[in-house]
Amino acid sequence: MSANSLQVLAAAGKGESTRTALRVIILCLIAAAAVSSRLFSVIRFESIIHEFDPWFNFRATKYLVANGFYKFWDWFDDRTWHPLGRVTGGTLYPGLMVTSGVIYHALRALTIPVDIRNICVLLAPAFSGLTAFAAYLLTNEMTTSNSAGLLAAAFMGIAPGYISRSVAGSYDNEAIAIFLLVFTFYLWIKALKLGSMLWGALCALFYGYMVASWGGYAFITCLLPLHALVLICMGRYSTRLYVAYCTWYALGTLASMQIPFVGFLPVKTSEHMPALGLFGFLQLLAFLDYVRSALPSRQYQTFLWLFAGGTFGLGLAGLVIATSAGIIAPWGGRFYSLWDTSYAKIHIPIIASVSEHQPTAWPAFFFDLNFLIWLFPAGVYLCFQQLADEHVFIVVYALFGSYFAGVMVRLMLTLTPVVCVAAAIAISTVLDTYLDARSPDPENAKAEEAVEGATKKASKSGLKSTTKPLVGIYSYVSKGVVVTAMTLYLLLFVLHCTWVTSNAYSSPSVVLASKLADGSQHIIDDYREAYQWLRQNTKDDAKIMSWWDYGYQIGGMADRPTLVDNNTWNNTHIATVGKAMSSSEEVSYPIMRQHEVDYVLVVFGALLGYSGDDINKFLWMVRIAEGIWPDEVKEREFFTPRGEYRVDDQASETMKNSLMYKMSYYNYNSLFPPGQAQDRVRQVRLPEVGPTLNVLDEAFTSENWIIRIYKVKDLDNLGRDHASAAAFDRGLKKKRAAKKRAPRVLRVE
Amino acid sequence: MSESPCDHDSPMWTPCNEDVNSLLCRSFPGDASYRELREEHLAPEAPVHIHAPQVFKNANLVHVISVEKNYVKESINVVIENIDKAAQDEYFIPFTADQVSRLGGVEVKDRKDATAGPFTAEVAEFDPTSDTQYLRIQLPTPLKSGAQQTLGINYYLLKAYKPLPAAIAQDEPQFLAYSFSAYAPSVYTTSKQKTEVKFPSTSIPDYTKLPGSGDIKEFPQKQGSKLTYGPFDEKPAGAVEPVEVRFEFTKPVTHISLLERDIEVSHWGGNVAFEERYTLYHRGANLSALFNRVKWSQSQYYNPNTYAIKELKFPLKVGSADAYYTDVIGNVSTSRFRSNKREALLEIKPRYPIFGGWKYPFTIGWNSDAKNFLRKLSGGGYVLNVPFLEGPKQVEGVEYEQALIRVVLPEGAENVKYYTTIPPSSISEVEVQTHKTFLDTIGRPAIVFKARNLVDDFRDRELVVTYDYPLSATLRKPLIVFASMMALFVSAWALGSVDLKFSSK
Repeated sequence: MSANSLQVLAAAGKGESTRTALRVIILCLIAAAAVSSRLFSVIRFESIIHEFDPWFNFRATKYLVANGFYKFWDWFDDRTWHPLGRVTGGTLYPGLMVTSGVIYHALRALTIPVDIRNICVLLAPAFSGLTAFAAYLLTNEMTTSNSAGLLAAAFMGIAPGYISRSVAGSYDNEAIAIFLLVFTFYLWIKALKLGSMLWGALCALFYGYMVASWGGYAFITCLLPLHALVLICMGRYSTRLYVAYCTWYALGTLASMQIPFVGFLPVKTSEHMPALGLFGFLQLLAFLDYVRSALPSRQYQTFLWLFAGGTFGLGLAGLVIATSAGIIAPWGGRFYSLWDTSYAKIHIPIIASVSEHQPTAWPAFFFDLNFLIWLFPAGVYLCFQQLADEHVFIVVYALFGSYFAGVMVRLMLTLTPVVCVAAAIAISTVLDTYLDARSPDPENAKAEEAVEGATKKASKSGLKSTTKPLVGIYSYVSKGVVVTAMTLYLLLFVLHCTWVTSNAYSSPSVVLASKLADGSQHIIDDYREAYQWLRQNTKDDAKIMSWWDYGYQIGGMADRPTLVDNNTWNNTHIATVGKAMSSSEEVSYPIMRQHEVDYVLVVFGALLGYSGDDINKFLWMVRIAEGIWPDEVKEREFFTPRGEYRVDDQASETMKNSLMYKMSYYNYNSLFPPGQAQDRVRQVRLPEVGPTLNVLDEAFTSENWIIRIYKVKDLDNLGRDHASAAAFDRGLKKKRAAKKRAPRVLRVE
Repeated sequence: MSESPCDHDSPMWTPCNEDVNSLLCRSFPGDASYRELREEHLAPEAPVHIHAPQVFKNANLVHVISVEKNYVKESINVVIENIDKAAQDEYFIPFTADQVSRLGGVEVKDRKDATAGPFTAEVAEFDPTSDTQYLRIQLPTPLKSGAQQTLGINYYLLKAYKPLPAAIAQDEPQFLAYSFSAYAPSVYTTSKQKTEVKFPSTSIPDYTKLPGSGDIKEFPQKQGSKLTYGPFDEKPAGAVEPVEVRFEFTKPVTHISLLERDIEVSHWGGNVAFEERYTLYHRGANLSALFNRVKWSQSQYYNPNTYAIKELKFPLKVGSADAYYTDVIGNVSTSRFRSNKREALLEIKPRYPIFGGWKYPFTIGWNSDAKNFLRKLSGGGYVLNVPFLEGPKQVEGVEYEQALIRVVLPEGAENVKYYTTIPPSSISEVEVQTHKTFLDTIGRPAIVFKARNLVDDFRDRELVVTYDYPLSATLRKPLIVFASMMALFVSAWALGSVDLKFSSK
């Protein structure tokens, strides 16, 4: 009975349509798992946009939905970068917003009116499901094993390296870009394999979408020519490569130039030169190919050398001249920092100040990829074994992806897909080998194995295996051990992914969670408290000065104009804010007046022990300001003579007089008994007498003091400077008190 | 005063047997169509210009002004006497144009005869540009010549106070000032009258003193938290004696400029969903210095009495569930919701304490089982009975300048009728709109009530809506979803079976 049903099941499992159905179901389940594992923060907190950049994307999406596409395209935003403004429509990657807008309108058309916020929050998880599918397709191009694709999809779905940028609410360009990256690679492989212009055009189409979505498109722009170059160097030039590459390059470049932010960069900047160069090189090769078919081989040799040398020399000279003449822009700062990790720290502090631009620590690889990281080399090795054109791609991608992931934390993201693919190839090879042909009858199994071994041998044209006994796993023990171990690793991987996602990547960072004494969750919502206060109780065009980290959030949540934001397009403007923050009141006040600042916002964590506050970021402000005004702001002066960065009574005078220090600790003393003021982030006791502020008034402080907002005082009515006005006010009070207290002494004599 | 407008004994029903659209064609007084309509009605009495005809005399009048809450509740109890030869049925009360814009919740009843109803009271538009406007009270039966009738007229004035001083420190007590006339507003000669003012506390530092009459030397007389001006002897029509009082009110002056209240009925879900969007202002004294967190957190320990809004309490109907509290930037975590068999109390705290002049818009919402509000009639129709207003219940009161109440019925509901116990003069417009939302094809009927100048005294007034909901409308949605899915599959199959390739054979 049971055997009968098993047979039925087995028979059902063998049918092609059943397998397809199973595959579809499994892929759907994987997509569901990918989506649901990203919902921690929605369930724990709420449907909210996370962190910083997503707030801008969200605001831009709302603008797009409210004003339509053309207005969005021409959007000049005068509420950021006051007083400069920002040509937002021309300086952003519109792919993400347009995607959300299209989804929004499509759902409306289907009479499912979903709030735009929810679409934005859930876009990244939804696209992660698609990414898993794309990984499945890509892997299927690499191997004949059916399981590898499904494994790759599963890995891609839950690998923390990808989850880190795609949890619900992290509405960033990467949310859709990784899907586009993997899918473009799949289409490239497909185009290359088939030599098909159709697939090449599709590849170009998705490449164009990718360019519209993320600055990381340069990774594709460099990787595809590199792959092509490696193939050519391996002597694998073919018309397939020619068709695929030329179709992709011509159409893709045209597509990418439609994005205003990219514009003519593809023909101007060094990052895009490899692709252009290879395009030319391929034309030469095609030409040579033609010449070879027309010329005798000896003449051809000479011709080849002369021609190749001449072309290369000309090309190189042209490139150098064009670069030095300024026609082609040299490599950008972010690219230099990819080659020399200390470059940014010295030359462009604004790039170095972002934590995700730091070099990756080794444990991060294990943290983000778990056991995939050690299966990764095995997978690459397996690719070497077969080394068809598509395997070369994996090898090249693996090499470059690893390098970039090593120099910059956020580029772990581009490594993750290839790790998933390679690891899936490795695991499926192991499982296919060790799970093969298990049947209740050992003799049968042996026979089957023997048959399979024979076919394998036959398919291999090598000689060494002909004399050797049949290769296969005979022992059930080894099969059992390996399979059990692999299952265990897979289960551990799932556990690890869940744990990492839940603990490391699911915090909205706008809202902080803490536990009360009774174990219940307490939400610290200071950011939104202050932003809402700004939004409701200041005038609509009140300019807010804060460090650039909070620019997007202020624009998104408080809806007020800001001086600088996370776009960081104008280093000088940021340095101006840095200078205002790091100078003394007398220096800062004119700067703030000149920029029409109404309120200054600082983040202060000392009361709560919130370490991401402005005092801890202060040195970056100083460094960035120093980059522009080396004579006026000096980093050294913010340290004690012994070279320590302190905020207590040992702090340097410059530090104590800086506006940032004063704003942070102003009035903080009065919260504590005299002399007991404590900074819980830096674990020091503060000076007994707190700083005085003359040019600013405290306007609002949030419940846990995380956000402090100051109002910039107007000019003094009597034309005094603020310090003397404040001193006069204080002095007057003292005098009055003294008058009252001192009894009049009558001179008697 | 025992008669408060909340009394249920004389329900002001608006029976609606005809089409809802044509029923209450009230719109805002400035509305052109409304004016046209009124002029048509007024055509026969066109000679009436500014002054109402002197056909009545106020034999005795008691004017009670209550400033206990952050709106003014006034009630005029007056014995009117017809001094004309003919029977009269229209009684007028004058208001300034400014007062009329802030006037709400007018209810009139006969103090002697509870069954004598309904008295309709509405603003009579003689001359929209004049500063003097009139409230016309339509007596249900014309009063015969020489006969007397006792009217109890209740109304509310919103935005009535001004803080004095206008800016105070964070921890100081707040004082409000209110100006009114010691003589009750009237277009008729008043033989005898007095005005009583009730205060929230005995702390009344300033009030206008008037020379007394009779055996009382000086008005007003102060008894605890009450001031009494009068009794005065006969005063001519339109007599005014400006008086100002200033009293302590260390409580928030909560003003809701706009309340949007959505009530959505779902038959499939067996659910009634409520959502209310408030635009809240504090109309009290502004801060003289900027907000100081240290002072605030310290004052929370030793002197929690403040004029800042710290908390709002919404007693919801029993059985409410899934309450939420958000604002424009997301969920606000500082709320508590207690729901059990006896009560459902939603307590919310604003993100920051709201001081005078500050603004705080927010949204709350909750669900409730349909059976708590919805009943099936024996005739096949449904009757929905929900509160017209469910705002916060605060000791100091809450006033609503504009309220937009929208009842969204299931798709396909027809024959929609309603009535409400809210004073008809407060409702300025009712219309039935079509609201399109999830998976709707023809849209849902939504009755939209535009009401103005309401106060939280009207919290428990009912809103009853009856409608028919045929079976075909019930099945519309699942059938449409099913049909469209089928269409999708069929078209996918049809497309899939088209062979686009060149034959490989």
